[in-house]
Amino acid sequence: MSSNFRLLNLVKPFLPFLPEVKQADRKIPFREKVLYTTVALFVFLVCSQLPLYGISNTSGADPLYWARVIMASNRGTTMELGISPIITSGLVMQLLTGSKIIDVDHSLKEDRALLDGAQKLLGILITIGEAVAYVASGIYGDVRDMGMGNAFLIVLQLFMAGLIVICLDDLLQKGYGLGSGISLFIATNQCESIIWKAFSPTTINSGRGTEFEGAVIALFHLLLTRTDKVRALKEAFYRQNLPNITNLMSTVLIFLGVIYFQGFRVDLPVRSKRNRGMVSNYPIKLFYTSNMPIILQSALVSNMYFISQLLYKRYGGNFLVQLLGRWQESSEGSGQLMPVGGLVYYISPPTSLADIAANPLHAVFYLTFMLSACALFSKTWIEVSGSSARDVAKQLKQQQMFMTGHRESSLQRELNRYIPTAAAFGGMCIGMLTIIADFMGAIGSGTGILLAVTIIYQYFETFEKERAAEMGGFAF
Amino acid sequence: MSGRPSAGGLRKRPGTGSGSNIAAKGGAANSSILKFYTDDSPGLKITPVVVLVMSVCFIGFVTILHAMSKIYQYKMS
Repeated sequence: MSSNFRLLNLVKPFLPFLPEVKQADRKIPFREKVLYTTVALFVFLVCSQLPLYGISNTSGADPLYWARVIMASNRGTTMELGISPIITSGLVMQLLTGSKIIDVDHSLKEDRALLDGAQKLLGILITIGEAVAYVASGIYGDVRDMGMGNAFLIVLQLFMAGLIVICLDDLLQKGYGLGSGISLFIATNQCESIIWKAFSPTTINSGRGTEFEGAVIALFHLLLTRTDKVRALKEAFYRQNLPNITNLMSTVLIFLGVIYFQGFRVDLPVRSKRNRGMVSNYPIKLFYTSNMPIILQSALVSNMYFISQLLYKRYGGNFLVQLLGRWQESSEGSGQLMPVGGLVYYISPPTSLADIAANPLHAVFYLTFMLSACALFSKTWIEVSGSSARDVAKQLKQQQMFMTGHRESSLQRELNRYIPTAAAFGGMCIGMLTIIADFMGAIGSGTGILLAVTIIYQYFETFEKERAAEMGGFAF
Repeated sequence: MSGRPSAGGLRKRPGTGSGSNIAAKGGAANSSILKFYTDDSPGLKITPVVVLVMSVCFIGFVTILHAMSKIYQYKMS
């Protein structure tokens, strides 16, 4: 049975060297959890402001611009890689186990340890690989100009930062903190940019006199300094080049909208067989897979952008490459490349109403792509992550719960009526909200704001649960 | 359906036992991107304090690198 070769056993020799946070051997009080979470957050924030030592330039087009949101990374800082190694290795391992390429006996403790170790090892290897690739590809300037010593130092810094992110995430997951490191870092990164765009005190001279970058500060500044108050208001609300008040308001609106939709759910009444009379609800949320469809969709799209950009730069004349995507520097002069043709153009959001009018096919294609991709990813995800109707039925059976008014055997069928629909439709709703957010010009991007809101909502739920548990603990 | 009213009364019992347990697990399809399990595995055991000290050391290390290069440049000129 176990005589055949198993991929997972390759990890075994490395297991003793993988850093691993000790399991909490006592119940960590809520207050302490908050403390650990805050400190982890603080470390992350400092790291994402600390510039890398040894880099000579970070100007020019940023090929990873589109991936920054889900990777929680900051250009030119020690958090350049952000959480991308963790996410990548997590996705790869999920897919490998989900498709049974790596077979794992989930009931064996040894196997679970191996799987965990494999994931961590893969994460570390990806960190090293990405760090070397970044330096070698000359994002930080030519290696010959920097010298070997500096190049090595940059790789070392990126590697250390990656290791720290993995450890921090482990720390939070092992019961010392709230939620997971990944979601915490994504949400923080996004909120930081929203706050910055709203209140940034940086001034920019754009030909119409000095203007503040922050939308709120600019509003007051314009109202106080300009003589024509109406024009000043208009300027503060609709200025194009910098964040304006409409952007801020649409951000808030999307925020509220998502929270409103989070409450949509179907409660299935379930009853315990063990202790009679125990009745509770098994909620099936509209956002059954939460922000997962968006993460997967934007991971796919940003990878496509990245590949297409690299290909276009090198083999721009090739017909197939042009079919995949044509790129052009944006008109704002930031040096950022924008897709202007090919497949990637059609899956990128239209930039304005005029853009839609000029090319309605683009808008329609984008809409269809977004919605179907989100629905599809959502449906696949429940299978991969073990939250499909079959798994939930099994889980409920293990806890000796059954549904009120239904026979035990029909539990799965009953769940099957709700879960796939909730997953697909929920995914579509998430996709739609993202499109709306993008179109209304919410700060950051539609994806970013959707991720941030869903994560914050999850945190809010965790908070409440922890609080309730603590209260219950005191009461008894 | 006849069982519903009495069940409704009992539902108000505050979170005891397995009832609240499964409610907590409901729709938790999202948090599992990184970790399959949170058991202990035979790795290099470190305590949370070590992680935090490590991160502070790293931040210090990069800061010192920056400072050193600034001082070096200053002395050169």
